[in-house]
Amino acid sequence: MRALNLHLKILITLLVGLGALITGYQIFVLNIPLTEHEVDNLWNIDAKVEFQAKTNEPVKLQMFAPPAEQNHVILNESFISNNYGVSINKLDNNRRITWSARRASGKQTLYYRLVASSRYNLEEGKAKGPVYRESIAVDGVEKIAAEALLASIRQNSADVETFVTEAIKKVNNRNDDNAKLLLRGDYSSTKKAEVIELVLSIAHVPIQRMHTIRLESSSNQEPELWLRSFNGKKWLYFNPQTGEQGMPKDRLVWWYGDEPAFNLEGGLNPQISFSINKNEINAMRLAQLSSDASSHFLDYSLYALPFAEQQNYHIMLMIPVGVLIILILRNIGGLQTLGTFTPVLIALAFRETQLVFGIVLFTLITALGLSLRSYLEHLKLQMLPRLSVVLTFVVILFACISLFSHKLGLERGLSVTLFPMVILTMTIERLSITWEERGGNNAFKVAIGTLFAASLAYFLMSSVQLSYFIFTFPGTLLIMTGFMLAMGRYRGYRLTELFRFKAFLKD
Amino acid sequence: MLGLIKTWRELEAKGIMGINRRNADYVLKYNKRSLYPLVDDKILTKERAIAAGIQVPEMYGIIETEKGISKLHQLLEGHKDFVIKPAQGAGGDGIIVIADRFEGRYKTVSGKLMSHDELEHQVSNILTGLYSLGGARDRALIEYRVTPDPIFKSISYEGVPDIRIIVLMGYPIMAMLRLPTRQSGGKANLHQGAIGVGVDLATGITLKGTWLNDKISKHPDTENPVDGVQLPHWQNFMELAASCYELCGLGYIGVDMVLDQELGPLILELNARPGLNIQIANNAGLTHRAHAIEEHLQQLKLTGTQESPQQRINLAQSLFDTNHEL
Repeated sequence: MRALNLHLKILITLLVGLGALITGYQIFVLNIPLTEHEVDNLWNIDAKVEFQAKTNEPVKLQMFAPPAEQNHVILNESFISNNYGVSINKLDNNRRITWSARRASGKQTLYYRLVASSRYNLEEGKAKGPVYRESIAVDGVEKIAAEALLASIRQNSADVETFVTEAIKKVNNRNDDNAKLLLRGDYSSTKKAEVIELVLSIAHVPIQRMHTIRLESSSNQEPELWLRSFNGKKWLYFNPQTGEQGMPKDRLVWWYGDEPAFNLEGGLNPQISFSINKNEINAMRLAQLSSDASSHFLDYSLYALPFAEQQNYHIMLMIPVGVLIILILRNIGGLQTLGTFTPVLIALAFRETQLVFGIVLFTLITALGLSLRSYLEHLKLQMLPRLSVVLTFVVILFACISLFSHKLGLERGLSVTLFPMVILTMTIERLSITWEERGGNNAFKVAIGTLFAASLAYFLMSSVQLSYFIFTFPGTLLIMTGFMLAMGRYRGYRLTELFRFKAFLKD
Repeated sequence: MLGLIKTWRELEAKGIMGINRRNADYVLKYNKRSLYPLVDDKILTKERAIAAGIQVPEMYGIIETEKGISKLHQLLEGHKDFVIKPAQGAGGDGIIVIADRFEGRYKTVSGKLMSHDELEHQVSNILTGLYSLGGARDRALIEYRVTPDPIFKSISYEGVPDIRIIVLMGYPIMAMLRLPTRQSGGKANLHQGAIGVGVDLATGITLKGTWLNDKISKHPDTENPVDGVQLPHWQNFMELAASCYELCGLGYIGVDMVLDQELGPLILELNARPGLNIQIANNAGLTHRAHAIEEHLQQLKLTGTQESPQQRINLAQSLFDTNHEL
């Protein structure tokens, strides 16, 4: 017995542990959302390029597109451009779109649309980057100014990170004469970046420009310039205007490097504008759309099944929940029900009939069926023929209800389908057996208990959140099995027994 | 909520056994499923008992097929009174008790007259499974009609009172006398309203009783006190109950017996899932008593000895003597 208990304990621990592990992995590592209603922001970014085409000249427009490897995941991209050939190619860290046309005239408008979101992306792989560069050649006053700046930066810094931060601070300091001289009155990000690059290059610290889009709804946004530097282990990001370090989450990198956003051959007056708008998307749907680690997991989850099949499993996976409820109600609560599975089946039937109508229908038909049964008892019929008569009567009743409700224009009545009917006849059969074996009083108690258990099971089983949760995290089924196993050894009192044995406490 | 927890604690302290504990620790542990048919079928139980020389109501005959019904005449010849019951019936349904014959007809205990044809029809109903669990085909058993000992006259209403003893691994652990009432329709079934009266295992003297989960001290129909009655042949009842372990092999059973006016204690049937209301009737919990026996069994296992039914009775009577226990 003791060995058996140990065996059971190990089994329960294994099942619960495994279930918790799988579920925890899904929630904390794969970031699968806990509820179906969890939404993520979805960004639609339109890059619009307009220009005047030169007549009789081939047009070639090259534009950067956001690289795939970054904090945001690109769900979809599309190109809206009549008569242009489009190609995308990778260029170091960047991606570049090339639109080309043999001939174009008049005003041209090309669109590049991108849908991006910020979730479901794992950490990037091992970062790589340059740690050394040649100095940019300067002379005269500028050289002296740059070296003077560098000397004070050196004094106030310890590593690459503080070095770059200090450099940015110095360049942004309007009272610093050396910086003023180098900037020559131009306080734009571009100029500052240039000066910072110059100063850092003398110290052989490489720096790279990057151009980012801020993810907020706006109709005309300019890409913002950021700098990044590799410290040997990872990339460090800096804002040249403010010295701010670390890239905010709402930035999407559009391209790296010194080149402009696009270059055009065979056109005039090019203009680019970015417009961004926000959409909300069901988080689970998003996980399915994106093609990263968590969706690889989804490939091996129930979400990989065909849609119709998924629907079935949504219902089927709720059956253990229903059984668990009945188990608790019966073994801990002490409720009397018709077997274990019947209330769950009735709860499933309620899904088709809706709860209130279902209860009315069940009560009505069961009552009629049982009264017929007690009438038949007077005729002293054998059990099997008697049950056959009752079941036939139930089918006739169903037909009548459907017919009447149709004539009265009630759609509800028509929802009586094969499944509830089978369950109902089965219930009547089992109930009349109970009646026969244990008397009408008991049968009534059992019927009420069954209806109560079925309603409760129905509420839980039709809960969208719960259904989603179990469908998405099937590991919970293992945890439930562990609980059921433990219940198999439950020796405590049932709730009703506390009342049943009250007589003992009256001394 | 707090009240419930308090109730729980108190019940636990008294050693009251709940359904979950009975099923997990006793029924599932000691009763092998394959042996159930032996107690579910009254004919099988009776055949075993007869082979073992245990007293049961004499079996006049068995009718197994429709064709066999024609033998009924022959079987009943020479018996003025008798009982016909379904072998696998439950709750006392389908039982006909004939008390006398009257001008070629049969007279039931309630005085109703039945023709032979009616009797044959009833037997046919039993065979088709009208009264058996789940409606399976059944057999009809014709046996000796028990006449209850007059000692029960004052505390019983119609019917035949019976005595149930719970037996764990051959050790009687609790006993109860079940008395029919007007509400139970002469049946000795607690669920149907019969009274259960506790019996002291050592002496066979009745204690107070239970009726529909409540404690009582008088019979509701005769208004006579139910306690303090000395059951005759008590040692005999204990021996019958204790020997049922060897008879059926089930470790946790309720043995139902009757006291016949002429034949004394007889075994009626065995129950593999005896109810828990016997605890209210005895005002004592089954858990403590069962644990005491289980402890004793552990010690026996160490020494490798086995006890005879008489030794088991002696132990049970010394352990569960109400006069010294309380």
